[in-house]
Amino acid sequence: MTPKKRYKFARVKLTRAGVRNGLDGPAVARPRALFKSFSRERHDLIWATVFLLPAMVAILSTRVWPAVGAISSSLHTGFPGGVREPVFSWFDNYLRLFENPAFIEVIVRTIAFNLVINPLQIAIALVISLVMTRTIPFRGLWRTLVFIPATVPIVGSTIAWGIGLRWDGPVNAIISALGGTPQPFFTSADQALASIILVATWIGVGYWMLFLIAGIEAIPREYYEAAKIDRAGPIRTFFSITVPQLKRPLLFVLVACTVANFVLFVPIQLITNGGPQSSTALLMFDAYRTTFGYGSRNLGAAEVVILASIMLTFVALQFFLLREDREPKGGSK
Amino acid sequence: MKSTKRSAVAIFAAAAIFATVGCTTASDVADSSASSAAGSGADTTAAWSIPDTDPVATITLLGLPDLVDGNMQPVLDAFAEAHPNITVVYQNVPFDALNAAIDAGVSAKNGTPDVYWADMPRIAALTARGYTTDLTEQFAPYSDAWDDASYKGASVGDTLQGVPIANSSQLLYYNKDLLDSAGVDYPSNDPNSRITWEDIKQNSKNLVADGTKNGIVFGQVDRYYQLQALPVSLGGSPGATGEGNLTPDITGDPWVTSMDFYGSLFAEGLSPRGITPEQNDQEFLDGNTAYYVQGPWFLPALNSSDINWGVALHPYFADGVPVTATGSWALAMNPFSQNKEATAIFMKWMSVDEGAGYIKYRPDAELPANKAGKDFYYAKDVFKSDEGDKAAKIIGFETGNTAVNRLSTVGYVEFEGIVNRAFADIRNGIDARTALEAASTELEAAWQTYK
Repeated sequence: MTPKKRYKFARVKLTRAGVRNGLDGPAVARPRALFKSFSRERHDLIWATVFLLPAMVAILSTRVWPAVGAISSSLHTGFPGGVREPVFSWFDNYLRLFENPAFIEVIVRTIAFNLVINPLQIAIALVISLVMTRTIPFRGLWRTLVFIPATVPIVGSTIAWGIGLRWDGPVNAIISALGGTPQPFFTSADQALASIILVATWIGVGYWMLFLIAGIEAIPREYYEAAKIDRAGPIRTFFSITVPQLKRPLLFVLVACTVANFVLFVPIQLITNGGPQSSTALLMFDAYRTTFGYGSRNLGAAEVVILASIMLTFVALQFFLLREDREPKGGSK
Repeated sequence: MKSTKRSAVAIFAAAAIFATVGCTTASDVADSSASSAAGSGADTTAAWSIPDTDPVATITLLGLPDLVDGNMQPVLDAFAEAHPNITVVYQNVPFDALNAAIDAGVSAKNGTPDVYWADMPRIAALTARGYTTDLTEQFAPYSDAWDDASYKGASVGDTLQGVPIANSSQLLYYNKDLLDSAGVDYPSNDPNSRITWEDIKQNSKNLVADGTKNGIVFGQVDRYYQLQALPVSLGGSPGATGEGNLTPDITGDPWVTSMDFYGSLFAEGLSPRGITPEQNDQEFLDGNTAYYVQGPWFLPALNSSDINWGVALHPYFADGVPVTATGSWALAMNPFSQNKEATAIFMKWMSVDEGAGYIKYRPDAELPANKAGKDFYYAKDVFKSDEGDKAAKIIGFETGNTAVNRLSTVGYVEFEGIVNRAFADIRNGIDARTALEAASTELEAAWQTYK
């Protein structure tokens, strides 16, 4: 830091301290208080830096730097594989991607998938949470049962569902036993993505439920009592009390769920491999295949940047829609 | 307080998104650091030779066969005995993960693995990516050791980029009991009365009607390696034409007709839909399959089973010509290897010494690329039975007369992935023309990189 800058810094502090002293204490005490305050703030600043440094280094090296690397890589084009040096080529990768109708289909499919799966998962999690916060027998047992799928590694759940939904698997056996027609599930272009949604929802719902239960239980009982006195029915109570009071956990769940589903990969890689007829080729899987299957790292990086941009747009929209100032009067503390 | 919580959620969201970008592109960062390391350290062009005395070294081999189930352990033990100074660390990956493992390993530029299993039709693509070491100078003195087709299969232009360790062929195995039960004649071993695909389909219908679970099963279901023989039998190209074989050619009549046929086998319940290549052998060994197309590597399992099996010539289309799959594995050297000389000694031992150590010491009946290896190959136990003897004669005939190599192109990596997915779609009931046209469009886009 240059002496001039230090002077400026000190002057700002002096001014602030001066204002405070001017209001709180006698004028004679100013110089000593000024010095003390300045010294304490610098002391705090040093220690804050020391404590924050490891986290900052970790965030910069493992998060920000790779993100910058991905953006830089997406602006280069190179021969597939990681040995030859790529050359800077502005937006060539992006142009190539957007000129490819199959890639546009991947983006549309990814967005459509997320527009269905996220509200679906959260709605189911919310309904289950409401049931699980009522006084029902064996509540702990039911909660545990719903949560168990979240504790099983996703690879295990995926394999189990892959077998379960096979042509000759148990689900079709049940359908046949009930007099229905066996369904192709993962082997049909019309049903594969829906089957993926089923698997992901089965895995995810229990996890999101946990946060929502915590949120519901944190809502003060008085609100419900007040609603009761006002003769509000269960639906009115749900929309006027539960939902507004649940905004914060709901926002967290919505954002986390969206992020998780945008990067959903395992069921697609293990069961459908993007097929049949590319019907389950979502952007995350496509980026993986481009990068590691074909070795086109730069093109894959461009896909990842596009994925992250779409995801950010969605998350920003969610923040906007669930912003706090829309909270009804009396709801804030 | 409110804003603090909201900031916390915002930070979480940003961190999660950064994590996405970060995780998926960790390789890019690894790349940039590795390239600087490569620039200062590893010299990929330094001269090397195959020394007469073994250096003390540890090399890493990335391979396909499992140590125990795939009988790779006896091979490595025999090498350790012949070359005690060289330690081989073996990394085993499943077939579907091999290419991604090669890509990740070599592009890290740290020299691991030193040597890896390379599918011959991929060698052109691997070389174009800079993943192989030119072996021409060091291995030229041994080029006579291999049959011509294998030498060419491991070469790119005039340069040798891998050493061939195996060759392959395809046979039609059948379950005698199931055929007897349905009153179906055994398929022929006479090249003049080779069974047709049309007959296989008709017989399969009779067999399934008789109670057989699977009429006909492709051992390499949905894999170009085995299915290429269908369109080519009808006069189709290997899948691409033009300069560098980079113009897709999979929508012509031979491809559509033969793939219609492939799809119909599944649609009509003659082949099982949901069984993977890894499960097919067991289906035959369990007595569930009447006809089974598979390579000679299946022979040991048959010999040690109770199945009453027979073997015949690979089928062809009545309007076409007999065609069989061929080509197999080579060993390629990582250009960033720090132990090129020790690695070369290992590669030479596997493919040249003693008629190819890999063939000699691996009990499995992998067809040798080494000419001298054929002597002890056909003397293996698996060929001692009557049917084994027939198999040996069929392999000899097919490799010399009907074998057709897979497509040779720098775009093979994309080609195989996209075409295999089209095969899977057809198996699952998608119309062959629709699936192949979609694959052709996808290929056009993927091959832009090479044009």
